[in-house]
Amino acid sequence: MFVFTLRRLSLFIFTMLLLTLLSFSVNFLFPGEAIINLTGAINATPSQLVELNNAYQTHRNIFWQYLAYLSHIINGDLGLSMASQSDISAEIVNLLPATIELSLVALFIAMLIGIPLGFIAAIKHNKITDNLILSISMLGYSIPVFWLGLLAILTFSISLGWFPSAGQISLLFEIEPVTGIQFIDILLSDSPYKWQAFSDASTHIILPACVIAVTPATIFIRLARTSMIEVLDTSYIRAASAKGLTFQQIIFRHAIRNSLIKIIRHVGLQFANLVTIAMVTEVIFSWPGIGRWLIESIYQRDYTAIQSGLLVLSCFIFVVHILTDFIYAALNPLARGNKYGAR
Amino acid sequence: MARDKIYLEEIFPSPFMQLWLIFRKTPVAMVGFSCFIFLIVLAIFGPLLAPHSPVEGQFDMLLLPPAWHVDGNVSYLLGTDELGRDMLSRLMYGTSLTFGLSFIVVIISLVIGVIIGSLSALTSGLKSSFLNHFLDVILSIPSLLLAIIIVAILGPGIDNTVWAVVLVLIPQFIHITRYAVKEESRKDYVLASRLDGASPFRILYYSIFPNITDRIMGQATLAQSAAILDIATLGFLGLGAQIPLPEWGATLANGLDLFYIAPWTVYLPGLAILFAVVATNLVGEGIRHALKLRKER
Repeated sequence: MFVFTLRRLSLFIFTMLLLTLLSFSVNFLFPGEAIINLTGAINATPSQLVELNNAYQTHRNIFWQYLAYLSHIINGDLGLSMASQSDISAEIVNLLPATIELSLVALFIAMLIGIPLGFIAAIKHNKITDNLILSISMLGYSIPVFWLGLLAILTFSISLGWFPSAGQISLLFEIEPVTGIQFIDILLSDSPYKWQAFSDASTHIILPACVIAVTPATIFIRLARTSMIEVLDTSYIRAASAKGLTFQQIIFRHAIRNSLIKIIRHVGLQFANLVTIAMVTEVIFSWPGIGRWLIESIYQRDYTAIQSGLLVLSCFIFVVHILTDFIYAALNPLARGNKYGAR
Repeated sequence: MARDKIYLEEIFPSPFMQLWLIFRKTPVAMVGFSCFIFLIVLAIFGPLLAPHSPVEGQFDMLLLPPAWHVDGNVSYLLGTDELGRDMLSRLMYGTSLTFGLSFIVVIISLVIGVIIGSLSALTSGLKSSFLNHFLDVILSIPSLLLAIIIVAILGPGIDNTVWAVVLVLIPQFIHITRYAVKEESRKDYVLASRLDGASPFRILYYSIFPNITDRIMGQATLAQSAAILDIATLGFLGLGAQIPLPEWGATLANGLDLFYIAPWTVYLPGLAILFAVVATNLVGEGIRHALKLRKER
């Protein structure tokens, strides 16, 4: 496990370097001066500009500039937003938890729906149920998410009036942001209307989370189905049934555990997909997350915000990726010995 | 019984032909394939077939519902939008923008990706390891996020969207080609032709490529469904096709304000995107299914 950790850690550092290099080089590609794009100081006086040029070492060669940029990032300084002139790292700290909350709830829903359906399809392999589940998953995989979001708003918010169509929580509730994650904040707050606020926040999150969950859920259906079919084909399952275990016993004691492990491995990969979908959904549901902020900053040509948003979002995705790798390795001893990049 | 064929000739169809023979026997895949062909034909001839102009509106025909509705008009089969533009014509023109462009995008990125991928499969050592890690990083960034960044650099517009999606799709093709070429070159028949003295490029061209085309095609259908969705999403966000262009995503975003009064302006482009992606995915599913069956033989 130690070697495994070291290997992941080196991969992590390498990736972070590459990602920062990417977001650094993007500044030179955007229109305008690189130093302004980097810092967002559009209204800087000449003396401030000299100071910034010194801080980012623009008189030295590109390598030192990159190092200066890196040290700024490590100190948590991502520059100012070109549009609002507010500190970007503070804004991201405010916005990122909302996205994390939304995507985790969506991931949870997707797994809760997708994995059991996949198992059912695998158990009924090549029967009507299997084909039905597969066709539904094909449809869900192909549906454009912005369209689905709009249809969901039209049906559930406007026609039926079950769920609110926008925002994270009703403006009536005043919740002190502590962690940034709405549900934890509500539980921590000492407001007398705590539980009303909690149920209000849950009705707000259900619709966008379900819309985001559709595509990942269909992918989980496929993954669960393939891994379950593989597991049911192995000799230890045959041995278990030869021993006289009932079908339920085989499925619940042996098959589900072994096939779940294989699925966990793919959660990290699916997460990148899920975050992309979440970005678009945030725009439709006016969710105060980082995806909507990023897309709005594109409309405003806020290059500083774009490059920091790229960096933060891809770091977030990569951290989740590494975390699921660890969980997978902790659950499955066989994976720890696997060499990265080995053939 | 008369024997017409005295000389029994054994025919070995090429891997690609084998795939087609299996593919042909799956009805669902063939339905998807015919829808795919239909969309390609529509993408090429759509502008000629469309009954009305996609950008010029009829001001006495505003917000006409589809023809099956009581207030509908048969000459505007799918209704009109808020500027009196015929939805059917807009959708037909949109086929060549959304679907046709995604097809071109996939072909460009396939060619570039396969060239880089097969060259990189021939190299080894530090360069190859670096490329591997680099690809991992690029692949870990969501494709749409990357496309959005590239559009932010290049500026909004349909041509920039195309380049952004091409760039985003290339790493996938590099990855799969590299993997497939490495896997094939470990097989005995490649060793045999190497022992015959064939140069690496000759091996690549005559021995390996015919055997990996099917896998690359499977990847291409995946890439195409991603490309359709990406182009439409960028259009929807206002970063792709600009206002008068009848790109499906942009048309949908255009109907957004009138969603409640004229729901068909939102339903129809969405259905068109769904249809195109389902057709592509059915073809892809058929190819993967056929690949699996061929392997089991």
